[in-house]
Amino acid sequence: MKRFSRILNGTATLLLAAALPLTALAAPKVGEPAPDFSVADTAGATHSLADFAGQTVILEWTNHECPFVVKHYGSDNMQTLQRRYTEAGAVWLTVISSAPGKQGHVSAQDADRLTAERQAAPTAVLLDESGDMGRAYDARTTPHMYVIDSDGVLRYMGGIDSNPSADPADIPGATPFLADAASAVLDGQDVTRAVTRPYGCTIKY
Amino acid sequence: MRHQRRIIAHCLTAFLVLCAALLAVVASADDPARSGSVSAPHIRAELFSDVSAVAPGDTLTVALRLQPDEGWHTYWLNPGDSGLETRIRWTLPEGASAGSIQWPTPERIPVEHLVNYGFKGDTLLLVDITVPVDLDADTDTDTDTGFTLTADASWLVCEAECIPGDASLSLTLPVADISTLSQHTALFRQGRDSQPLAADWPTRFVIHDTYLEVRIQAPEDMPSTDLHFFAGAAELVEHAEPQTVAREDGALVIRQPLNLYFNQTPEHFAAVLRHDPTDGSASAWLLAARNNDQVAEAGQVASAPAPTGLWLALLLALGGGVLLNLMPCVFPVLSLKALSLTRSSAQRSHALAYTAGVLLCFIAIAGLLLALRAGGAALGWGFQLQSPPVVGALAYLMFALGLGLTGMVQLGAGWMGVGQRLTHGSGLSGSFFTGVLAVVVASPCTAPFMGTALGYAVTQPAPVALSVFAALGFGLALPFLLIGFIPALARALPKPGAWMDTFKQAMAFPLFLTSVWLLWVLGRQTGADGMAMALAGLVALALAMWLWGLAQQQGSRNKRIAAVALLLLAVWPLWSATRLVAPTAEAGSGHAQPWSAETLAALRADGQPVLVNMTADWCITCLANERVALDTDTVRNALTAHGVTYLKGDWTRQDPAITDYLAGYGRNGVPLYVLYPQDGGAPRILPQVLTPGLVSDALAAAAGQAASEQP
Repeated sequence: MKRFSRILNGTATLLLAAALPLTALAAPKVGEPAPDFSVADTAGATHSLADFAGQTVILEWTNHECPFVVKHYGSDNMQTLQRRYTEAGAVWLTVISSAPGKQGHVSAQDADRLTAERQAAPTAVLLDESGDMGRAYDARTTPHMYVIDSDGVLRYMGGIDSNPSADPADIPGATPFLADAASAVLDGQDVTRAVTRPYGCTIKY
Repeated sequence: MRHQRRIIAHCLTAFLVLCAALLAVVASADDPARSGSVSAPHIRAELFSDVSAVAPGDTLTVALRLQPDEGWHTYWLNPGDSGLETRIRWTLPEGASAGSIQWPTPERIPVEHLVNYGFKGDTLLLVDITVPVDLDADTDTDTDTGFTLTADASWLVCEAECIPGDASLSLTLPVADISTLSQHTALFRQGRDSQPLAADWPTRFVIHDTYLEVRIQAPEDMPSTDLHFFAGAAELVEHAEPQTVAREDGALVIRQPLNLYFNQTPEHFAAVLRHDPTDGSASAWLLAARNNDQVAEAGQVASAPAPTGLWLALLLALGGGVLLNLMPCVFPVLSLKALSLTRSSAQRSHALAYTAGVLLCFIAIAGLLLALRAGGAALGWGFQLQSPPVVGALAYLMFALGLGLTGMVQLGAGWMGVGQRLTHGSGLSGSFFTGVLAVVVASPCTAPFMGTALGYAVTQPAPVALSVFAALGFGLALPFLLIGFIPALARALPKPGAWMDTFKQAMAFPLFLTSVWLLWVLGRQTGADGMAMALAGLVALALAMWLWGLAQQQGSRNKRIAAVALLLLAVWPLWSATRLVAPTAEAGSGHAQPWSAETLAALRADGQPVLVNMTADWCITCLANERVALDTDTVRNALTAHGVTYLKGDWTRQDPAITDYLAGYGRNGVPLYVLYPQDGGAPRILPQVLTPGLVSDALAAAAGQAASEQP
């Protein structure tokens, strides 16, 4: 009887584990598989998490009109991070979850123009008009950052750094949470601060 | 002619308009108490002062007024799921300092699926500025230097979109001998009205796996509906999730799911409890929530306040009451009473009358304590002895009782309940008042175990608190009840006889000693002059009693009158003594440093082990522990060897900071011994009866963590 219930328990756990990546509404958790997604980029190509198996993935939620995003693009901080980590072999996906008609929503052409103007260097810009991917990750602010390791496990979620201001002058003095986490994951080390406060504008779903 | 007149009229009108305009400009430019308004996108900002001239050493209040457009808002100290709190960076003259922002009551602002905490409409952020004492009133007459303060304010103003903004706002206030109020007092009143009221209700929080639980000891008549709890810590609760509010064990309990991004347990945070009943009469309170783990993990007696059940508190109070009977101040009175009872014909009714006296007196003192606390006084158990008149009166009482016992005077049966008349079974009122007296003389002797029970009691609703005090009284009366109701016990006591007179006289000496000790406490409170006056009063008292004794023997009316006159005379030096205040003595003694919350916090931040001793001169348990354990060479050496800093807080006179600290550990009386281990571990509460071995072992353990890590 005892053994039977143990088998039953084991089966249930297995089933749950298998179902996990499919449950879009479960809150993401560091140390567990990151939620899957399937979203088209500005060139029309669809990307899913499974496409990047074996690679470190960095997610960045953005809204080009948000002052907190302007803080990090205007100071070239975001572009520097994008260049540093894509060159180190990571995939950098910039995600726009603003709904049509709301602040930060852009067409594919406008998104490409913004990338060119700002000399940004993401692997791709994903247009998540429906907000499905944003909700799956429970993304709240712009910017909002995530790091997923080569096994598809979520390793970091939170803010880009420790100073929740809109003033670019505060960047040098802040602790670079995202950079620390991304470097640690790429080096195969533990992330010291895996969950931090995301700060910025509310995502306009 | 008519034409000319019209031209003159026009010129006159134009001149008047010009004058009026100039006056307006001059008026606003002339008001040093306002900075002038700065406009930024969707918001205007201005700085005001509550005085138009400052005096050295004063504290003034300035207000940052933010007026966002309709529908736009700025943020509270915890902005919620997004946003950014308003910040002010001050540039002040040397020696001046600015306090933190006194925030108005926040409101809940839902944005999409998230929630922000902030302010809509006209918002006033008040800040206190301290002016240095050495500011010169008229340093330079030709270049009128004033007191210039500059606020660099930065904010985020949002509707759905957000726009960060900033402004540099300056005021230059003339310096004068006396500060003058500015014309903006109404604005400051409006600012203060928009703030939550500071409440001293003990508030503890516990972080569970998935939710935050906050227990607020709010007054009983506080409703549990239409409430919203604003946690003043970012990323603590999931702001958009509903919170539950319930009444449990007399406390208001708030539960809200933890924030997804929760990553750090704060030690404490500010919080606002907002009540918005449907009738529109909103009110709000400002609370200081503390981490309950610091109390809960401390083990032993420290399970207070929440986990100490009512039954445990009642049991502890009962035990403490029984122990009180053995205290040197109580024993002489009670042992004689007990012996006299054995010969009484109506033992049971005397025992009951005595119990009634004890209970009523305890409940009366507890009622007074609760009433004073409800009135906002930061008092705890033993508060009676923080007042020099009470200490002095008790010293007089002990001395008079002692004189009575020596046989100098036959005190009325009503008070003493000893002597021949009562052994022959006189009035029950005598037994009742012996009970009252027992409580009065017992109050200096805080028995072990009583601290926890009484600390629990005063934080509870009145009926619970009073029943705990009643249990304490019942414990005090219990031996009498047993003697009264179990004849075998009464028979076991020695039979009264001639030896009782000798015993009675011998018992005077513990009372004299108690009196000496109370005079010492009075001396600490009022200085040597006060003590000398009280002693002179005691001589007058002794003289009065001697005359009264003679009058009793001789039936002399004149001597009686003289005795009463002397008695009144004896009161006068006591009255004047208690009006003196002792020069502030050094708080720490020997190897102890004086306690202050800041010192403790600084040492803890440094990761140093700290031993805190909360004591008072009138607390006999405290003094005994110091003599027997804390001040011994064993403990001194252990303190030095393990590098433990010893902080001593003195509660002999009222000190709200210490009352607050005691409350943090669920206590309401001294002694309290708290040991903070090295590198910021959970503090441990030591028992109320100490031995040198126990203390040095605990010190070794507190410092040992780090020592064992080193190879």
